[in-house]
Amino acid sequence: MRKIISVLIIMAAIVTLSCKRSGSQSGKKKITIAVIPKGTSHEFWKSIHAGSIKAARELSAQGSEVEIIWKGPLREDDREQQIQVVEGFTSQGVDGMVLAPLDDRALARPVEEAKNAGVPTVIIDSALQSPAIVSFVATDNRKGGMLAADHLGELLNGKGKVILLRYAEGSASTQDREDGFLQEIKQKYPNIQLISTDQYAGATRDTAKRASENLLNRFGDEVQGIFCPNESTTAGMLSALQDSGKAGKVIFVGFDTSQMFIDALRSKQLHGIVVQNPFNMGYLGVRTMFDSLQGKPVEKRIDTGVTMITLDDLDGAETQTLLHPPLDQYLK
Amino acid sequence: MVAETRSNWTISSAKVVRLWLNRLGPLLGLFLVIATFAILIGSPERYLSLKNLRTVLSQTVIVAIGAIGMTIIIISGGIDLSVGSAIALTGVIAALGINAGWSTTVALAAGILVGGGVGFANGLAITRLRVVPFIATLGMLGVARGVAKGISGSQTVNIPDTWANDLLLTVPKRGWLLVAPGVWIAVALALVAALMLRRTVFGRRVFALGSNEAAARACGIATDRMKIYIYSLAGLMFGLAGVMQMSRLRQGDPTVAAGLELDIIAAVVIGGGSLSGGEGSILGSMIGALIMAFLRNGCQQVGWPNYIQEIIIGALIVIAVAIDRWRSSRMATA
Repeated sequence: MRKIISVLIIMAAIVTLSCKRSGSQSGKKKITIAVIPKGTSHEFWKSIHAGSIKAARELSAQGSEVEIIWKGPLREDDREQQIQVVEGFTSQGVDGMVLAPLDDRALARPVEEAKNAGVPTVIIDSALQSPAIVSFVATDNRKGGMLAADHLGELLNGKGKVILLRYAEGSASTQDREDGFLQEIKQKYPNIQLISTDQYAGATRDTAKRASENLLNRFGDEVQGIFCPNESTTAGMLSALQDSGKAGKVIFVGFDTSQMFIDALRSKQLHGIVVQNPFNMGYLGVRTMFDSLQGKPVEKRIDTGVTMITLDDLDGAETQTLLHPPLDQYLK
Repeated sequence: MVAETRSNWTISSAKVVRLWLNRLGPLLGLFLVIATFAILIGSPERYLSLKNLRTVLSQTVIVAIGAIGMTIIIISGGIDLSVGSAIALTGVIAALGINAGWSTTVALAAGILVGGGVGFANGLAITRLRVVPFIATLGMLGVARGVAKGISGSQTVNIPDTWANDLLLTVPKRGWLLVAPGVWIAVALALVAALMLRRTVFGRRVFALGSNEAAARACGIATDRMKIYIYSLAGLMFGLAGVMQMSRLRQGDPTVAAGLELDIIAAVVIGGGSLSGGEGSILGSMIGALIMAFLRNGCQQVGWPNYIQEIIIGALIVIAVAIDRWRSSRMATA
């Protein structure tokens, strides 16, 4: 028995020694803001992380020390795990949370409980169906879809046959993009004929490619313009176009970014991509939380910006920062 | 170890004391984890505050209820890998039931019963088809997950506000409960299960089955029927865990709890259960579940990244089992 105890004490000592935190920073009260992404490995979330650190550094330089705690769910994309992280920060008593909810309903209870316990939450990236939030800081997806419609409409000179390949049923952000796109086309370009708008690509590149192949088999001879509302649908459609030899012959506008899309822009197989600004999302999320903690009024809905990128402005400094945010500067 | 536990009323009082000390091993581990983090975090009053304890206890309930079922299975010498999928399936069923206009009680009961059905199917596969539990339940892991996705159309099933949503509220609506109603349900079930294992014929037969199946059969125990009972009973527990999961998410989520079976098995093993059967206790498994919940909560509050958490829990499982082996080998020679 004594041996068991000594083994356990040694374990405890190892754990204690391996802890490097020292509570030496005292003086002015530090503000702690927890930033909770949906996952941690994807480039998108790294950009949000970098943006939030930028905000914290700026604020600290201005004299109010802000600390960012970055913590995603233990298992990526697991709602229960994300709830546990929110609950943990609530009982830890952080000053505020910036959360990208994995689900617009499942995360409502923990966020409301946090508010009751005195921990306010700013929502980023995806909406939360709860009135208990400080602000919703995210891409204006509708606007993104409209931007795509305008670009496609101009390139087609306001006439032609167009396909919209939808993403998946029940995804709110892509639904907004699709709605924005359709509305803008119908209002501003009455001579553009929408020949297919009811096909769903499904969640992965693979399902998107299959759906694209089916569409191209049916409409390949007549289609002149295509819009896809996210990364996987754009990638699936692009490879289907390449396989069937139609890449470059159809005006194609996509959404989100990847190296494959940049290459396709250069080879004129893709004629524009709408990109979001996750770096700005992380930055504005933390700034909004901070302002609210200082008692300043904040907007209930904050747009973090969408941009159309084409071959012409691909190499501009602004586009390059957007496509490749300075992650190393903040995450090292 | 097993023989001694079973006949501990015949052995000397010194041995009884030592037995109890051994049984307290996991409890000691729990205190150590709590104490360590209370010190590391630098403010024990916050880590041990009612607010934080409520949170940790609510977070433990799903694993704890699952571990009650798993303990019975593991003592009987079996294993069930389909728990995570069963939780997702039963949560989806209960949510669909509520949305179909069934009364909340009926919908939750349906979820629990479907859990029992999944366990029954596991039991049939193991006894009638002669498939070892590891493989039979590995198959069920895929089947139950697939059915959950199929009947929900691969979408989450949101439910309206009913009392089911309050089962795991960290701050209960009725203040005198102190902790979430689900926590009390788990405690009550653990007590009943522990008494059943220690004091009833069925419970003793579970141990006999896990210690030596051939001998148990020779003694006239209908081992196949026992196994079906055991997996069905555990399945009911997993169904209840699924209902709790639905309550926490306020939706039936067909993708939830992937990999949770490993957490549940780990809780049983940390609490002294042996995968070769014949050993384990409900109390130990509950403590195992608490140790993991406090570890997670503590790691987050200290500010450690997720990977350290995973490493610590992984190492802890091995250490706990190693201590247990070493302890029982000493007991054997003592």
